[in-house]
Amino acid sequence: MDIQAFETKVLPSKNKLFRFALRLLGNVDEAQDVVQEVLIKVWNGRESMHQIKNWEAWCMRLTRNLSLDRLRAQQRKATDSLVVGMEVRQDGLSPLEKTELTESMQQVSKLMASLPEKQRQVMHLRDVEGYSYNEICEILELDMSQVKISLFRARNSVREKLVKINAYGL
Amino acid sequence: MDSRIEQLVEKYWKCETSLEEENELKAYFATHEVSDEWKDAASLFKYFDHQKKLAMNEDGVARKLNVEMQPKDDGKVKKLVFTTAKIAAGVLVLVAATFLVRQEVRKSYPTDVVDTYSDPELAFKETKKALMMISKGFGKAKQEAGKIRIFNEAEEAIQNGPGQKDPEEERI
Repeated sequence: MDIQAFETKVLPSKNKLFRFALRLLGNVDEAQDVVQEVLIKVWNGRESMHQIKNWEAWCMRLTRNLSLDRLRAQQRKATDSLVVGMEVRQDGLSPLEKTELTESMQQVSKLMASLPEKQRQVMHLRDVEGYSYNEICEILELDMSQVKISLFRARNSVREKLVKINAYGL
Repeated sequence: MDSRIEQLVEKYWKCETSLEEENELKAYFATHEVSDEWKDAASLFKYFDHQKKLAMNEDGVARKLNVEMQPKDDGKVKKLVFTTAKIAAGVLVLVAATFLVRQEVRKSYPTDVVDTYSDPELAFKETKKALMMISKGFGKAKQEAGKIRIFNEAEEAIQNGPGQKDPEEERI
């Protein structure tokens, strides 16, 4: 792969990679670091990656793996309990994002952050990025039924919580 | 609200919508104000739409990536420098060896003639003296060699035997 192929096949998806990393890590700087790492890895290993057909899906998978590695490393280092860590992640919005989002959208953000990891990944890939089920299977290395079940549970969980919030102000 | 949109939202919760239908929902909620009943769905689709527009700060990443993507020709330069250094080292060893060997050869052959006198007259005297010494040596040698002659004569006499008389003796 030469520079031109890299610029046309890999670089255009960098914001998708960033959003996916941000969804998993909840921290802008960390997400940018992961994207940088992914792009450098792809560039340095370009000679041995001839067999890859769908570069975007492959980069998304790499982003997911590197992000999860980082999360695991953080959990090992962290002395706080997992619950505190989750809370930090839920509020991991930049000041700019907070001002841009309406209150109801911030609630959605928190609800999505509180979903189990697999559901969160599937919902992000489908509802934010608009990937097909097949592409999600490829990125997350899951089979179709697992993807559909995760998405169904995620949407229903978000819906139930939204209804509760609107009905009882919880 | 549009009944079609209502249907689509219901399908969405059941995960039966296609990507096109989901895009239609996003586009609808981004541009339409809806009643309180649909507020939760609206905030959800608005959130998705908003999230899709998030972009990273590219400066740092672009800079780092540019450094990585520079064609790495320093490998070639390094190779060239290394090869040149190897050749230079070889030449240096040869020159040093030649120099040392020459030094040794010079030491084993003494220098030919060194002028000792700057005054020609003194030099002539010294030469004369030296030649006289040689001549004296020769004279002495000649004298000594005279003794050998006696032995020669005696030897001849023995070889000739007693039968042959010395002609000089006969005369006496």
